[in-house]
Amino acid sequence: MTSSIKNLVPKKIRKNILDMAFNGSTVHIGCALCLVEIFCVIYRNHLRYDFGNPNDPKRDYLILSKGHGVMAQYACMKELGWLKESDLLNYFSDGTKLKGLSDSRVDGLEVTSGSLGHGLSVGVGIAFGNKIKNTDQKTFIIVGDGELNEGSCWEAIQFAGHHALSNICMIIDKNNFQAMDETSKIINQENLAAQIEAFNFNVFEVDGHDENALDDAMNNLLFHKNNKPGCIVASTIKGKGIQFMENKNDWHYLRLDQSLYEQALLELES
Amino acid sequence: MRDTFSDKLVEIASEDSTVMLLSGDHGYGLFNSLREAKPAQFINMGVAEQNMVGVAAGLSRVGFKPIVYGLSAFIPIRVLEQIKLDVCHDNLPVIFIGDGAGFVYSHLGTSHQSTEDIAATRAIPNLIILSPGDRFELERCFQLAYDSSLPVYLRLGKADRGDIHSKDLNFDIGDLLTLKYSLGPRRVSIVATGSMLKMASRLCEHFPNLGLVSVPSLKPINANQACKLFHDNDCLITLEEHSIYGGLGSIFCEMSSEFSDIEIFKIGVQDRFSEHCGTYEYLLQEHKIDFKSLKNEIGKII
Repeated sequence: MTSSIKNLVPKKIRKNILDMAFNGSTVHIGCALCLVEIFCVIYRNHLRYDFGNPNDPKRDYLILSKGHGVMAQYACMKELGWLKESDLLNYFSDGTKLKGLSDSRVDGLEVTSGSLGHGLSVGVGIAFGNKIKNTDQKTFIIVGDGELNEGSCWEAIQFAGHHALSNICMIIDKNNFQAMDETSKIINQENLAAQIEAFNFNVFEVDGHDENALDDAMNNLLFHKNNKPGCIVASTIKGKGIQFMENKNDWHYLRLDQSLYEQALLELES
Repeated sequence: MRDTFSDKLVEIASEDSTVMLLSGDHGYGLFNSLREAKPAQFINMGVAEQNMVGVAAGLSRVGFKPIVYGLSAFIPIRVLEQIKLDVCHDNLPVIFIGDGAGFVYSHLGTSHQSTEDIAATRAIPNLIILSPGDRFELERCFQLAYDSSLPVYLRLGKADRGDIHSKDLNFDIGDLLTLKYSLGPRRVSIVATGSMLKMASRLCEHFPNLGLVSVPSLKPINANQACKLFHDNDCLITLEEHSIYGGLGSIFCEMSSEFSDIEIFKIGVQDRFSEHCGTYEYLLQEHKIDFKSLKNEIGKII
């Protein structure tokens, strides 16, 4: 098994996602593919953790609040050596540990989410506790744009803003879709960045597939001195990297058969 | 009981700086002593209960022992999913205080009354449910909740009913407290929890042959002690300021169906909301769990 942050590159991670999705015949493929660059940049360049111990108490926290994107995180955890090849191969087999949504009982995953609007508050609580303890640990929280329909998210956002939790970096995966339709047709979020800014956050809007832009935004947020929590509104493409899935919202729920899997792999290589 | 609660809270918080009291903008006057003694350990989370429970889960992940305070109509009812997913799934050391359980807020109506909270929380794995009946039971329950380092729902009902016990208690989680054995010949005992313990005690004065058992721990319950109770009685009457569905009565019916064929009468709140405004005593009458109604009902049973 080769584990290295050098393997945390988008093409490799997308390949892992497709393998898992095909092996387990799972849904939520598009929801994971849009998160790939975000996870790669966080794990590679910003998150402090112990390779040998995902539960190191001195770690930074990475919380996937939109739990249905979990295959992207599994795909990275495999490259970090926290999951085995067989975990990917046997995904969704009876008696295995990896579920279709983020589950805190898996080492490396911090929260149980999938019911939306939970992870953000838990992450805010972790950050609040670390601020009280005066540690320099950071908390990264990935939230979906559809997830922001949940009122609990806004409770957490107003609390983080009020308490100036500058140890938070909230990344909104703005893929403009949610389960059933375009986000704008369900609960429109035209001025998302301005809305979050109004809650006393520093906000950057970036292309969520541009690793350098994500990197710069995280550097800027995490080194700012004005005592505000940070937010990156990352514009992403649901299904990114596989052309026949990109912005095709059916890939929230569709599954890969043999021929679609092969076609997806070819597209990834091209 | 409220003074006891406040004193115990200050005692625990003073000894352990990781204890954090989170309030959903509730508890007027109740936290004055804590805020004076340990201001950094009191956080008004605002009227945002879902976030309060999520934050409590987060705090406990990094070494704190949060106590989440609200009215039982909100904690646990409004935040049941957060309790299940954010706290109980990971067995985190968070204490939930649901104050004003039952009909305490008799004048305010259904939004502030809670007679479904035991039923709703009982089915959540890992959650301990405590329901003290006087200030001695409260002090012990609070200590047990803190010592357990596990998720606990501490249900606090009407607080001014007066004491039953006369000295500090030393029971464990799960213990049934037999205060009086039935004198027979037909051995009948009242099994009561929370605010109805004092009522049960008054009923026992009226019906001197009745036995009396207090249940400060609704989940878990010591099965051996329950079996002994079933063995020592011909009939039990459960009494609670909670729905007859899913609360104390249901718990004992479930246990007896496993261990015994004892006759059990469930007395509590029928499957309905309060209709009228009025005093606490008035609402007990409306729901037929006031002293006079219970005297008649129990008279028929025995």
